[in-house]
Amino acid sequence: MRIFKPFIAALFVLTFSTAQASTTEVSRLQGVIEAAVEALYGECCAQLDLNEKQKKVRQAIESEYELNVVIRRAIGRNWRLLEPAQQERVLELVKQLVVKAYVSGMNGKARPDIQLGEVIPVSDKRIEIPSKVQLDDKTYNVLYRLGKMKSGWEIYDIVAEDISVVSNYRDQIDDHFRKGTAAELITKLENLLTKEDLNEDVKL
Amino acid sequence: MKTLNYRHNFGAFILGILFVAVPLSAEKDYISEDVLYGEELSGGSGISDPLESLNRYTFKFNDFLLLKVIKPLADGYQAVAPDPVEEGATNFFNNLKFPVRLVGNLLQGRLDGARVETGRFVINSTMGVLGVFTPADGIEGYEPIPKEDIGQALGSWGIGEGPYLVLPLLGSSNLRELGGLLGDRVVNPLDQPFSVMDSWNWEWQVGVNVTEFTVSSPSIVDRYVRLKGSAIDPYSSVKNTYIQFRRAAVAE
Repeated sequence: MRIFKPFIAALFVLTFSTAQASTTEVSRLQGVIEAAVEALYGECCAQLDLNEKQKKVRQAIESEYELNVVIRRAIGRNWRLLEPAQQERVLELVKQLVVKAYVSGMNGKARPDIQLGEVIPVSDKRIEIPSKVQLDDKTYNVLYRLGKMKSGWEIYDIVAEDISVVSNYRDQIDDHFRKGTAAELITKLENLLTKEDLNEDVKL
Repeated sequence: MKTLNYRHNFGAFILGILFVAVPLSAEKDYISEDVLYGEELSGGSGISDPLESLNRYTFKFNDFLLLKVIKPLADGYQAVAPDPVEEGATNFFNNLKFPVRLVGNLLQGRLDGARVETGRFVINSTMGVLGVFTPADGIEGYEPIPKEDIGQALGSWGIGEGPYLVLPLLGSSNLRELGGLLGDRVVNPLDQPFSVMDSWNWEWQVGVNVTEFTVSSPSIVDRYVRLKGSAIDPYSSVKNTYIQFRRAAVAE
């Protein structure tokens, strides 16, 4: 039996550290979600305009997670089609677009109630954290996918009601690069960010 | 002595593995950027869209219709109808679509789903005053279940999606879902060709159809506006969202 002790000890250390990492990741994600919701609905930020709220939400997310990971995964192999300066610009513009859409989408809605579930281990380097979002009398399932990267656990996809955010942006960017260029993508993103109203250019 | 040596050697071997293997595996203890960013994604990939030019044109027409005609209608409806009225009207029309959900379940051999849907219809139609309320939600064994339709049944039989289509007024679809949609119409009591309204005056028929559309318009518009607001290419985003959603529904 004695010869198995090192094995048992090693197994115990690995199991314990995975369980501890899981608990830590749920708390970490919970903290970020609460901070982002507070930025949108809290008394502290009631007087802020939408731009300032976007900054607050972005700060809350980036204090713990690297938004670049989700966006790089969405860009996928098209990354190689961008010059280094364009890569930086596209990352920044997509970040702004995603945060703007989130803040605008929640604007005027009731404060959501968000409950995180238990970690679902996918492999030793990937976990999923399910959540239920109660918003306007409806419940939505949102799944956070996290991967263990060099910098630590990072969110690499968010799946809302079976729709993967990364897959959605990947298809849009793939579609763009079938006919368009990197410069055109940047122009398109810049135009989208300056547009105040979705109705602006709607015509037959 | 031999056993002791063996044990010592084995212990050293284990320790060796732990100390040598850990640094060796340290580099592989995380997902590399190349792997994470280079992975193929499954959800919405491989969408056949040979009619893209025509689809984009129809999408533009639907976009105009949704934002310039239907959105004001939905906003007006939400402004005048109190929340309980909106909810009751939505419940009423959802309840009438019971035959679609029943047939969707039966065609997939989901007998328990068919039982739950039938029970819900009976409870909500009686205790829930023609489906305006949903008392079945609170009865164990009759809580809401995922909605099934004929398109899902066709998917579960292994029929391929076919090309992606954007239908005027109706929006995203594909060849298989178009077949499903026609099937849904056959069993939906409010749709042709076997509508219960056939013997009614045309004014009543139009009235019911317009009311049904108005009642569903706020959620359609809300989903579309959210999606468009976050999209780089709204056409592509809606296409991907629709296909991911339907694939997940078929896979359930």
